[in-house]
Amino acid sequence: MERVNDMTQRTRILIALGVLVALAALVLGVDAWQRAQLGPEPELPPGSIPIRMDGRLVGGFTAGDLEALQEASFVDAEEGKTQDGWMLRDVLLLRVKRSALRPTTLVRVSSSSRGKTVEVIWAEVDDPANMVMFDLSGRGTLKLVSLLPQLDVRDEWVQDVDGIEIVSRGESE
Amino acid sequence: MKKRYFSTFELVLLALLAALVVVAKISLRLPLQLSGHSGIFWMAIIIVAAGIVPKLGAVSLVGLTSGILAAFLGLGDFGALNTLLSYTAVGVGADLALWLLRNPENLVVATLAGTLGHMAKFLVKWGMAAITGAPVGFVALGLARALLGYLVFGALGGLLGGLTLRALRRAGFFAYLAEKR
Repeated sequence: MERVNDMTQRTRILIALGVLVALAALVLGVDAWQRAQLGPEPELPPGSIPIRMDGRLVGGFTAGDLEALQEASFVDAEEGKTQDGWMLRDVLLLRVKRSALRPTTLVRVSSSSRGKTVEVIWAEVDDPANMVMFDLSGRGTLKLVSLLPQLDVRDEWVQDVDGIEIVSRGESE
Repeated sequence: MKKRYFSTFELVLLALLAALVVVAKISLRLPLQLSGHSGIFWMAIIIVAAGIVPKLGAVSLVGLTSGILAAFLGLGDFGALNTLLSYTAVGVGADLALWLLRNPENLVVATLAGTLGHMAKFLVKWGMAAITGAPVGFVALGLARALLGYLVFGALGGLLGGLTLRALRRAGFFAYLAEKR
């Protein structure tokens, strides 16, 4: 305590700056180590969210891919908060041809950390009035939100999305 | 009779500022798609609290109180515990920074304390994400940007708080407070 009292203001500021830099370095270092341990899927760049179709990996997307998409927004009815982000439709069409998707094709969006999964059909995803979209949360993860009744309040949203699966097999013609 | 660490008047002031943090979080929404942008008003209020009640633990108390309020109001996307801890971390982080740096009316000090306080919130959110197994890959890709956002907006908030304290002093607010105490 006395040591701290004896320091000059310049020393205190330098220590605070040092702590700040050390904390930032710690976060980024641990994160890099975690990513190295994870071993991402070989076909996808690190940080991608995989898109599977009928169990087969067809690709993935990253934040960089999203930035190239047109942004969308709506005000949710529950909290009156503006949800900003990218339409799920546009995200899927980055990796899947439209011709491969039928109106009844099932799109399953999941979060393993939240233990949440939501199923919507392509017709719902493709209808812009439903605003089935990803909102970027404060810490950089994606949250699936929508105006659809089954996805229009916080408890129904899928936070920390880490996987998308498209199920086309077995669907009725 | 043993003198209490915080007077009733100080506790009332701190509770009001804690409520202001929550009200600001709910009502002030900046149309920015940037992580941590709420820190610009959040840290300003915290630094003002540190100036009005210049005692170690004062802003930790503001953080804890605002965290309890926010948790009960259901704020935040990641549950009550995450909300409580992250709000409290802001106060504790700023408190520790001000314990080292002292006078929050010094603009450099206010800026640094704001940055460190907001960094503490980021650390809690990042730590909670790691514990709960959030999708690390995607977080990682945006992590540097999110971290930068927290640092910049924390610094701006701290600076704003420091300027507010200076303005309050010029307006005679501290002389008024001294009379009330």
